[in-house]
Amino acid sequence: MRLPKFDYLSPTSLTEALEIMGGYKNRRLKLLGGGTDLLVDLRDKVILDVHNPHNQEHRCHIKPVQSAFNEPPEYLLSLSRIADLRGIRSEGNKIIIGAMTTITDLERSDIVKKKLSGLHDGAWQLGSPLVRNRGTYGGNLCNARPAADTAIPTMALGGKLVLISKRGERTVEHDDFVLGPGNTIIMPDEILKEIIFDLPDVQYGSAYIKLANRKALEISVVGAAASVIIKDGIVISARITLGAVAPKPLLVPEAGQLLLDRELTDDNIEKAAKTASKKAKPITDHRGGATYRTSMVEVLTKRALMICRARALNAERMEASS
Amino acid sequence: MKRIIHLKVNGLDHEIAVEPRRTLAEALRIDLGLTGTRIGCSIGDCGACTVLIDGVPSFSCLTLAVEAEGHEILTIEGVADGNKLHPVQEAFVEVGAIQCGFCTPGMVLSTLALLDYNPDPTEDEIRRALSGNLCRCTGYQKIIDAVKDAARRMKELS
Repeated sequence: MRLPKFDYLSPTSLTEALEIMGGYKNRRLKLLGGGTDLLVDLRDKVILDVHNPHNQEHRCHIKPVQSAFNEPPEYLLSLSRIADLRGIRSEGNKIIIGAMTTITDLERSDIVKKKLSGLHDGAWQLGSPLVRNRGTYGGNLCNARPAADTAIPTMALGGKLVLISKRGERTVEHDDFVLGPGNTIIMPDEILKEIIFDLPDVQYGSAYIKLANRKALEISVVGAAASVIIKDGIVISARITLGAVAPKPLLVPEAGQLLLDRELTDDNIEKAAKTASKKAKPITDHRGGATYRTSMVEVLTKRALMICRARALNAERMEASS
Repeated sequence: MKRIIHLKVNGLDHEIAVEPRRTLAEALRIDLGLTGTRIGCSIGDCGACTVLIDGVPSFSCLTLAVEAEGHEILTIEGVADGNKLHPVQEAFVEVGAIQCGFCTPGMVLSTLALLDYNPDPTEDEIRRALSGNLCRCTGYQKIIDAVKDAARRMKELS
């Protein structure tokens, strides 16, 4: 099945891209990153009618089903030739990741692995090597799926998104970025330029755990991410986020609150995990039942927090020995 | 509207006229006649359309031909040296990792990229590297064995 017709624009600089975006504001234009979601959604899906229980003849009628778009876009604006949008850099106590950085880039980056371990966990578990090689970090965030493997840890780590348009630049928290499945606050003339993380100067650790039926090419049944900052043995910041239990990545401030100003003991971790599970509002679908998902939130949150604790302590040990 | 693009495939430059909606897989198969690249699911699940773009395994069915311009593409046709099979291909044949053959081009190309990045992979690393390439015949064990054998062959050559 061929893709629907569209025109293709491939600017080589961000300025050029923003110029185009400004001019095409009222046209149906989509940004093309790695294409691993967009080109799938553009294609009309075809299902064999033999799967239809009302089809008594069991013959393979081909029945086209409409693509995810009511009206396919007129223009695809490719971001792949804008070199500035790809790359991971450290600036003082900030890590800045370009939106067109591939998931494989994240997975293979030492900076991400060491300083943003939760995000590394997410990149490591996303899709398959073929998806990770083409798929981009920005694309995963802007697609705004409730189970997106990089979005859940990005939110836990307090990632900030830089949105740029001809009108100017604004920085938003990931907390406020997603409105619902596939829907974000990004305006039609805006491009997600980069994602910024502020690193604390004390002990910290983050983790993301994905519960899935397979090891690859899987959408999580439940995902949980946590990020904890510890000063002199006392938690000064804790963020817990959940995937696939609400229409969008879910931040559970109540669970983080419980950990504040105390030591990160097993007891406290247990309490926070219970609270997280109470706040989850999952649905029942073919991947798992709502009750099962709710119970798993508790287990995964507990494990994620324990990994955070181990990583925070380990990082300190590594600093001390170096 | 069609546009003229230049594709570098298996070391050769090609000039073709394609619509922007033409995928790289379609361009390779229809415009260049390189039908070793398979089209399976067209939605990024099966990996049969795997080609190497600048050495990186990529879905050619989810890459627009216009996006591939300026990059080096390697398809299964460019792996052997004339009639002499590449050690990875030899290993696949000798170990019996090929049954119907539909997934084989993708498997071989993913293996090439793996061994280039990691010449001595563990079984877990092999399984992970091939996790985007599906095979409905072999049950995967012979393919894993072939990759191990290929790693050994390539080490002997180097």
